[in-house]
Amino acid sequence: MDSARSTEPVRRPPVPVKIVIAGGFGVGKTTTVGAISDIPPLTTEAEMTAESVGIDNPGQRTEKRTTTVAMDFGSVSIDHSLKLYLFGTPGQERFGYMWDDLSRGALGAMVVVDASRLDDCYPAVDYFEQVGLPFIVAVNAFDGRLGADLDTVRWALAIQDHTPVVAFDARNRTSVRDALLVVLDLALHRAVSHRSPLRA
Amino acid sequence: MSIPPEGGGAPRIRPFLSGAPARPPAPSQHVEPVPQAGQAALRPFILTGGRVNADSADIKLETQVTARPGAPPHLVAAMAPESQHILHLCQSPLSVAEISARLHLHLGVIKILVADLHHAGYLDLHAFETDPVFDPDTILRVINGLRAIH
Ligand SMILES: Nc1nc2c(ncn2[C@@H]2O[C@H](COP(=O)(O)OP(=O)(O)OP(=O)(O)O)[C@@H](O)[C@H]2O)c(=O)[nH]1
Ligand SMILES: [Mg+2]
Repeated sequence: MDSARSTEPVRRPPVPVKIVIAGGFGVGKTTTVGAISDIPPLTTEAEMTAESVGIDNPGQRTEKRTTTVAMDFGSVSIDHSLKLYLFGTPGQERFGYMWDDLSRGALGAMVVVDASRLDDCYPAVDYFEQVGLPFIVAVNAFDGRLGADLDTVRWALAIQDHTPVVAFDARNRTSVRDALLVVLDLALHRAVSHRSPLRA
Repeated sequence: MSIPPEGGGAPRIRPFLSGAPARPPAPSQHVEPVPQAGQAALRPFILTGGRVNADSADIKLETQVTARPGAPPHLVAAMAPESQHILHLCQSPLSVAEISARLHLHLGVIKILVADLHHAGYLDLHAFETDPVFDPDTILRVINGLRAIH
């Protein structure tokens, strides 16, 4: 324990950790962040190159353009030396660089899904699989109803068996907490299995 | 609608993937695009003196920033208002994302300003020895901290 003199401002920053909250338009990302954050969600904007492939035209047509994307975020102070950041990011397109930036150093991700509009989240699911970031699919129970059962969601999104699919309520603090704990469980497994080969 | 049972058959391909070969994203050598002179979006980038600092690519959203104590006031007073604002905010530790949100300036601009102020000796950027991603103890602390939330 360091006993800083009380006259000095707190100069030692917390270790930051982050979890990414991805998902399509209006699925409840900001609501999720706001439900558990210590501070009201803040917004930051970033310029980025979006790459989109038309679903109607799944051939070669790839469009690239630069666009501004708003990201919402909040934080939870775990203790004076550890702070969890939650970054909510739009997920209906591939925002290459921003997603690299977001997932670099992230403990994991939660893909928020509205069961009645599943196709919005394909790019997020695919991206996290490709970069090997532990993630869960969290189905937001709008008005307490899921819209589809979890097995159907898993099938429809072609979610791999080792990826959890859970139901949650984005407006409910403890429900968001429990969903984040599922992400952290995956993160813990990754950390432990990364470490154990060195000890073997 | 009939749904085949889970786990059976060949792996399926999400529609969005069907035309595009799966490739891992390129490593982030990237700096945010700088608009050409004359474009409407120019203003924020003027703050950076037209330079793109490569180090800004190493700054992450959650990177913690603090002002270095003892900056000569007359030098600070001569800075762009945005830089002064950053130094003021960072009297206590602040993340790059929070700086961007509080100043209402794009992340790419903030990263460049922060990198410049760091190189000029006005800001400290904090790095941590262990990568939390592979540190079970840190993750367990987050888990226990969240469990305490009700
Ligand atoms: N009834 C109900 N409404 C919800 C729920 N979750 C979110 N909403 C509402 O749905 C709307 C969209 O939620 P947001 O949290 O803004 O969603 P978002 O994903 O951040 O949306 P964008 O950032 O615009 O893509 C808001 O009006 C929320 O109040 C829910 O579980 N039940
Ligand atoms: Mg939002």
